[in-house]
Amino acid sequence: MSASYAAVGWNRQKKIYDWLIAGFCTSYLVLFISLSLVFNEQVTFETLLIRSTSTLAVLLLHVILAIGPLCRLNKKFLPLLYNRRHLGVTMFTLSLVHGSFGIFQFHALGNINPILSLLTSNTNFNSLSAFPFQALGFLALVIFFLMAITSHDFWLHHLSPKVWKTLHMFVYLAYFLVVMHVMLGVIQYESNPVFVIIIFAGATTLVTLHLLSGIKERKTDNRQFALQQQGFVYVCGVKDIENSRAKIFCIDKERIAVYRHENKLFAVHNVCKHQGGPLGEGKILDGCITCPWHGYQYLPQNGQSPPPFREKVSTYDVKIVDNKVWLNPAASAEGTERPGAEIKD
Amino acid sequence: MSNDEFYIGWQERAPGSFARYTRYVIIVAAVFFAVIGILLALQQKKFSTANFEFGQLTEVKGIYRQFPVPSVKVMTQQDAFGHASYITIPLVGYGKFGAEGTIAELEKEKNTSLDKKQVVFKGTLLYSDGKTLLQIDKNDNPLVSVTTPNSLVNTAPETKELGTIHLTGEVLDPKCYFGVMKPGHGKPHKDCAVRCIAGGMSPVFYVRNEKGETNYYLILDAQGKKMNDELKDYIADPVSIEARAVQYDDWIILYVDGKNKIKRTGGLSWFKSNINDISCSASCTK
Repeated sequence: MSASYAAVGWNRQKKIYDWLIAGFCTSYLVLFISLSLVFNEQVTFETLLIRSTSTLAVLLLHVILAIGPLCRLNKKFLPLLYNRRHLGVTMFTLSLVHGSFGIFQFHALGNINPILSLLTSNTNFNSLSAFPFQALGFLALVIFFLMAITSHDFWLHHLSPKVWKTLHMFVYLAYFLVVMHVMLGVIQYESNPVFVIIIFAGATTLVTLHLLSGIKERKTDNRQFALQQQGFVYVCGVKDIENSRAKIFCIDKERIAVYRHENKLFAVHNVCKHQGGPLGEGKILDGCITCPWHGYQYLPQNGQSPPPFREKVSTYDVKIVDNKVWLNPAASAEGTERPGAEIKD
Repeated sequence: MSNDEFYIGWQERAPGSFARYTRYVIIVAAVFFAVIGILLALQQKKFSTANFEFGQLTEVKGIYRQFPVPSVKVMTQQDAFGHASYITIPLVGYGKFGAEGTIAELEKEKNTSLDKKQVVFKGTLLYSDGKTLLQIDKNDNPLVSVTTPNSLVNTAPETKELGTIHLTGEVLDPKCYFGVMKPGHGKPHKDCAVRCIAGGMSPVFYVRNEKGETNYYLILDAQGKKMNDELKDYIADPVSIEARAVQYDDWIILYVDGKNKIKRTGGLSWFKSNINDISCSASCTK
């Protein structure tokens, strides 16, 4: 969390993360290229470059898409999430190298513009086996490009979190396009089933992880709250909420986080204004609710980020009766101060 | 995870349990990346032995003929009976173009037709599987000399009717297949082959029989003219062709009577070797 925009807000963890990305990518490229040269002496430089960067980019794309559900299933994966955008930009750079060399190799030095050639050389849209797979890859590359150039918080702020998040959800479309680019492209040439198996295994893993994390969240979302009094809903016992932590309740399709702080309970909207992180899975640090995804902070009593930050979330009324926690799901305006409910021993 | 441990990326250090777990994840990921990298690198189809002598110019001397494709017939040696052996070297242009443009410029420059003349061309050789081609580039001043031969008797093309044949194979561009690209055929190379053939390169039909023997045919329409535009939708797909075949020196020409004599035979090849789709019902004549 930063009050001003810098290209990269470096800290020790971020440096380690980026060194690991560089190490992984370099090692993979060296390994792939070396083995190809040793076991395929006739290989050409252009093909090596196209294949090594593309396989690594697809591998990284799987890792990027797996991080979200993994974090929902196990908080210990959060260190991978914090700088995931660096992984995304790296993946885009590799895709760009792959795409650029591919366009040059297959479309340059011809009788029409290379991009026009890419879009018009193959127009067999009605045939699956002859489908223009390169256009699919190009479209995915355009999506990755838009994501990469807007990956900074500057764009998140100026586009608004909703627009930014919507744009970045297109990564799933891009993933589908990449899978089809591979299946209708190089796999139509390579006869070894190992390539199909790897792609299917990757897609199956991602679908499974997303389903598992979705099922886990649905358990919270589907809980029914029967006891209601004057707009308040009984949600849990006071002892169910640990100090400086929260529990999340989904009432009328809104997720609300009830925090315990300094012998009081406060309720705020569960969705972080930064990237929609689950505030109820965070912790109170220095008197502030701290989002587990990127550390954005809010004061529990009014849902406002401490100055000079200006993010605000909705607050809710909460009360305690006979050690039972009652929550009013009617949201107050974002940043509205609420008194909270005092816990009496 | 104890209640005290909470990870925030902007802190200098991750809590102990997070750091330990991340180290474990990194080790697993490193092994995973290595296994995938090894699998992908080793399971690639073997690359062809095609050669493109990039940056190396070679002079080729022979009789230039415009038909069936721009080519130079190079006489190599004579046997004890005085019969010469030869090789026909089709010409291709720079980039994704046929040689016609360069030839036309040279003819205009010399103010003479090169057809059936003895020429020395300087260009870049590309060769594979018994076939050789020559790239001529205007920037290399490719025409070293042109003379009118005393006689064309010994160099006249040997032709032989082979009848109507049905073949299953792949339409490809010869420049990439015989040297410049690896792979120079199949789906990954499809768009490039489309561009090369649209640029005037003479399309070649690649056929492989059950024994694994390969054959290459030049494709022309029934009147002996180029049919590059009509072939566009069939390039790099497994297709069957019905055509009149004529041996023309060391190449066989397929005279295809229109698009209706070409049929796509493909299908997705996710779990099968698409090379099996390519077959030769006639005995390979190479």
